[in-house]
Amino acid sequence: MQKKGLIVLCFIMVFSLVQLPAFAAPKEKIKIAGQFGLVYAPLMVAKSQGMFEKYGFEPVWLEYGSGGAVREALISGEADVGFMGIPPFLIGWDKGCPWKVAVGFVVVPIGLVTYDPDIKSLRDFKPEDKIAVPSPGSIQHILLAMAAEAELGSPNALDNNIVAMPHPDACAALISKKGIKAHFTTPPYLFEELSEPGFRLIIDDIDIFGHPFSFNVGLASEKFHDNRPVAYSVFVNVISEAMAWINTNKQRAAELLAPEFKLSVEKTLEYLEWEGMNYTTAPYGLMGFAEFMKEAGYISKVPESLEEIAFENVLSIVGSRSGEPSDIERLQSK
Amino acid sequence: MKSEKLKINKSLNQGLFIVGILLSWELLARTGWFPPLLFPRLTSVIKSLATEIGNGELLARLNFSLYLIGIGLGLAIITAVIAATLALVSPLISDWVQAIMAILHPLPGIAILPLIILWLGTGPKSIIAVIWFSSIWPLITNMHIGLRSVPTTQIEVGRNFGFKGIALIRKVLLPGAFPHILTGLRVAWARAWQASVAAEMVFGASGGEGGLGWFIYKKRFFMEIPSVFGGMIIIIVVGLIVERLCFECIEIRTIRRWGMTSE
Repeated sequence: MQKKGLIVLCFIMVFSLVQLPAFAAPKEKIKIAGQFGLVYAPLMVAKSQGMFEKYGFEPVWLEYGSGGAVREALISGEADVGFMGIPPFLIGWDKGCPWKVAVGFVVVPIGLVTYDPDIKSLRDFKPEDKIAVPSPGSIQHILLAMAAEAELGSPNALDNNIVAMPHPDACAALISKKGIKAHFTTPPYLFEELSEPGFRLIIDDIDIFGHPFSFNVGLASEKFHDNRPVAYSVFVNVISEAMAWINTNKQRAAELLAPEFKLSVEKTLEYLEWEGMNYTTAPYGLMGFAEFMKEAGYISKVPESLEEIAFENVLSIVGSRSGEPSDIERLQSK
Repeated sequence: MKSEKLKINKSLNQGLFIVGILLSWELLARTGWFPPLLFPRLTSVIKSLATEIGNGELLARLNFSLYLIGIGLGLAIITAVIAATLALVSPLISDWVQAIMAILHPLPGIAILPLIILWLGTGPKSIIAVIWFSSIWPLITNMHIGLRSVPTTQIEVGRNFGFKGIALIRKVLLPGAFPHILTGLRVAWARAWQASVAAEMVFGASGGEGGLGWFIYKKRFFMEIPSVFGGMIIIIVVGLIVERLCFECIEIRTIRRWGMTSE
């Protein structure tokens, strides 16, 4: 009996020791919800460089498989800030989520890839040819709908062809030519697929949208923005810092990111420097998506001005030129 | 007469209980304690249910789900009958069936989906396979146990009456095993639903020609939470209808009439 008691006592002591440091340093936490892919490189950089810690904050990193899941994490309060494509953000905004854009997050090439030599345009998809997108309502799905409207006359023309698959699974399925005919995807999966012999782009972001757009936006709730102004500013600053660090240290960024993506350093560097990659916090295309999604019936209203969907630091980047709109203002529309 | 009255009482009791739950749902939603985004009012759920039924989407999805479940469950029943029959005939096969049951029964059907997708691709075939896999084990287990649980004395009595072969199975073995078989069917039906909805939600595996799982999954991503509830309500209603119209009727005509259950 006595021996048992002693063992239990030992356990309690060991566990309380483990707990101690957490009590000693109560840092303010910021819970950040991201996803997978090269787009999220700034988050990985911020993590490894301890950029939040520099300001005395403790980041909590959360990873989700789709923008929809990030949205749910934000609504339920599991996360303070999160990253998702403009369409899932707008769907939430339309339904009354009290949130706005806090940072633009990376411009990247996006495209629809196939291995089938018979599929040269959207017209060539037969009903049984499956197209993988991460989820319904994702930026890839909305871009496909945009392309379908332009080429086939209806945004829903290809809805019966889509299957929802996370990027890594869909990439593996496409490369092994199993189950799906095409994949609407982003780097590094886009680059991996295009490096395979015979794989090519059917259509890309510029063909569809006309100019580059933010692939992701960083979001914060109005509550977080209003009640925790310091944490909000730190978040915006850290993301800007991490982006600038990648832009000026591509080689070191590649060394840092290579193990995360299980790629070689050379390959990662090649991907970071791929034509069209742009790590920037400036937002592009916010209104263009809203207008299309309203027209196609995915959302019920369009924001009257950027103020409805973006915080002041974003508004100041876009600016508001007297007279004719400036270039970056023009880039918000399609 | 008495049992008829009891049954009405039971239905009334259950009906009142459900109405109570629905009422407290509406009241709770009206308090405004929870954001309507996460917890919509019952009235908005009913409204969206009406819209989705009206535009035909929900019924088309239900139809497709029932079609997949019908095929998957049907195949599972056929396989289970064959396996249980073989196990009855040969003690060697009986050992094998028991071994494979012990190995595979605890494995959730959805766990094999990644493999199934690699082998069969994404689409109805994969979902049928997962439904088959999920519902076959409760069927085999219950058939096997049921057939084994018929006392030897009853079989001997049957033999004394001159029954042999098929007649012995039909008159003695099957009725004796029927309570177990019915339980197996109930569990398999529930498992088949779980498998079909889960498969479509985890992998959204069948795209535009999806069933109710895909419906709920899609509505989730467009944040139409009332429609998510609507999809769930349809599944519940179908479950209740099948329980009441199929399983209870079978139960009343068979094991209750034979006096094998007390309720």
